[in-house]
Amino acid sequence: MIKFSNVSLIYPHSTKTVLEDLNCEIQEGEMVLVMGQTGSGKSSLLRLINGLVPHHTGGILAGDISVDGLSTRELKPGALAHLVGIVGQNPINGFVTDVVEEEIAFGMEALNFAPDVMRKRVEEVLDLLSLNAVRSRAISSLSGGEQQRVAIAAALVMHPKVLVLDEPTSALDPIAAEEVLSVLHRLVHDLSVTVIMAEHRLERVIQFVDRIIYIEGNGETSIGSAEEILSKSELVPPIIRLARALNLSELGTSVREVRRLTTDIRNIPVADIDSATRTHLPAIDVDSLTVKYGAQTALRDVSTSVGRGEIVALMGRNGAGKSSLLEAIVGVLKPSSGAVRVYEQNPAELAGKNRRERIGYVPQEPSDLLYHQSVRQECQEADLQAGLKDGTTLSFLDKLVPRISHDAHPHDLSEGQRLALVLSIVLSGDPQLLILDEPTRGLDYQAKTLFTRALKEYASRLNYPVLLATHDVELVAELVDRVIFLAEGEIVADGSTLDVLLSSPAFAPQVAKIMAPQPWLTVDHVVSALAEKL
Amino acid sequence: MNKPLHPLTMWIWSLTLSIGVVVLDNAWVALATVGVAVLFVRARSDGSPWNATFWWSLRFGAFVITIRVLIGILIGIPIPGTVLFTLPILDLPSWMSGIRVGGAVTLERLSSSVHEGIIIATMIALFGAASALTSPHKLLRVLPVFIYEVGVTLVIAASVFPQLTQSVKRIRKAQYMRGIEKVSLRSIALPLLEETLTRSLQLAQSMDSRGYGASRKRSRYRPAPWIARDSWYVISAVVAATVMVAA
Repeated sequence: MIKFSNVSLIYPHSTKTVLEDLNCEIQEGEMVLVMGQTGSGKSSLLRLINGLVPHHTGGILAGDISVDGLSTRELKPGALAHLVGIVGQNPINGFVTDVVEEEIAFGMEALNFAPDVMRKRVEEVLDLLSLNAVRSRAISSLSGGEQQRVAIAAALVMHPKVLVLDEPTSALDPIAAEEVLSVLHRLVHDLSVTVIMAEHRLERVIQFVDRIIYIEGNGETSIGSAEEILSKSELVPPIIRLARALNLSELGTSVREVRRLTTDIRNIPVADIDSATRTHLPAIDVDSLTVKYGAQTALRDVSTSVGRGEIVALMGRNGAGKSSLLEAIVGVLKPSSGAVRVYEQNPAELAGKNRRERIGYVPQEPSDLLYHQSVRQECQEADLQAGLKDGTTLSFLDKLVPRISHDAHPHDLSEGQRLALVLSIVLSGDPQLLILDEPTRGLDYQAKTLFTRALKEYASRLNYPVLLATHDVELVAELVDRVIFLAEGEIVADGSTLDVLLSSPAFAPQVAKIMAPQPWLTVDHVVSALAEKL
Repeated sequence: MNKPLHPLTMWIWSLTLSIGVVVLDNAWVALATVGVAVLFVRARSDGSPWNATFWWSLRFGAFVITIRVLIGILIGIPIPGTVLFTLPILDLPSWMSGIRVGGAVTLERLSSSVHEGIIIATMIALFGAASALTSPHKLLRVLPVFIYEVGVTLVIAASVFPQLTQSVKRIRKAQYMRGIEKVSLRSIALPLLEETLTRSLQLAQSMDSRGYGASRKRSRYRPAPWIARDSWYVISAVVAATVMVAA
């Protein structure tokens, strides 16, 4: 269906080759995953398939890509619209109209389909993606998962033979991600659509894919089955790390397979992990907090507290009130009733330098805080603001990400590097509380490990608390001591990571699913629990 | 729900009425027209995000009137009449002899400023009403695909501008939470520029890969035919405008 012959790609003004001499053929009805570190060129590879690269982005392309016999060299993306459906990283940025139905019909209108054909196809695709209930809603009022489904519907309605998706689940909570992936799985199996997608969260997709294209970042690519690629790769999901740590004879990509391989390990009787809760001096106190936006209640009678040195995750579906709670704790959202105290102080009274010393805040879009010309200038500004010796922030950043160029423009950094930069700036003044809003979107496993290490070091060295909102179950399992679970503005669960994650199958990390009923969340837990036995 | 108007109806309606208002140049008639527009928008708004445009255009109109009046008080051509109060006259260098800052403020001078302000605000409100009731997206669909680039540019403008205010709010909030209270143009503008640029490029790519402009002819999923009611709207506006021009 798709054939890459001797494809090389390089962007002008760049010394790095994105792809070099890629040869591969993707069959009809295959599901292929493109993986690689952040910034390695996954999106470029995806957009080569319908000619967006190089027709839209520039770049020097050698070799040829043909889709169903049509070469993208001669054809512009528009001429392939009936053949290739593409769903971008942020679907909201690609929507052309206001309303769900019109958005789905847009592509067909552009290709001058007859009205009765359009009617029929829109109905079909609304049913296929269970969007019938929201068909006449404004797109901006939908949740992230619904928007992702609208974007897929708008691509599918053209009956494309190839569907290309760039990180389809990165912004979604585990349940919404599962919905989207099961739709894709069905498309491949029922309609034999060829699906090619890029995704960082391998644990979510790995069990569905037939083959992997691994972009190594230096132009090299390798192609093979999931087991082949993952047995050599550095970027691996927990399931593979578990198999490596336990020296299993073969690798498995689904929970079912690995459970079969580990029956005897699960049956070793192990003493309970010491779950004695440490007592912390309280740092944040939330007392029956209610927040209303007009008639809508964002938080209803929420009471909790976070102790010093604790790392706490806020979880819950999109719109459950996570951001509102963070904003109330930072003090920018006025509570309708109830109170928030941060170190016995009302956070709304904090301002300027005072606030920076108390609360370190990393927003959802880290680049919102960056407005200088180079990494060096950003760090100097941070030193100046925190009254530190020149170079403190920069050396902190170097420790976090060793190979970062100090003269690079912040917007040219990869997502992981940019987060590291913002984290260094925010942490430079050793704030007494760190708050992060969805910090790991678009990060690969290596960047996440660095990030986890930095946060743990901060919390234990200074004995200050960390509070983060996230959808990333694996991150929570690795990093967090305690989970607060929100739904519809209320706390529905609040307890140790182990208790909360194990109580709901959708939120259980991969290792826990494999090792159930043993209470292990991460590979490290398994290894240390077994080490005592051996 | 009442059937939607043809996308062009409101624009023709607004255009004819604003010509009438400008030619007649009567503040009372202008205010009455705004009143009609308010009734119209209230009756026909369908809950789309664009409906808010009209209320913003009213606020912007009020702002324009205020500015016009302030300028009228400070820098005005002296119109003789009832003196309300006198401001000290600012000494200006001799080469600026045509301009006077300060001086006597007469009732006539004030009312002519208010009058001009109202006329401008009315035009803003009329176009606000048109875009509130027909989003530029809808308008675009009835326009032929003249030139591909023009279409893409219009869609980008129509989608990105409403998002600008939201982005500014988000960036300011993020910076405020970080403790950056001193809002400088640069600290907002740079992240905003980057985001807007990325967004525009992504939208252009999305339109292109979905076949926009690939076919000269476009079909319509929800045809919006021009029906008798649209004609009545336009005719009534033309009649009103003709009366205003003739008067």
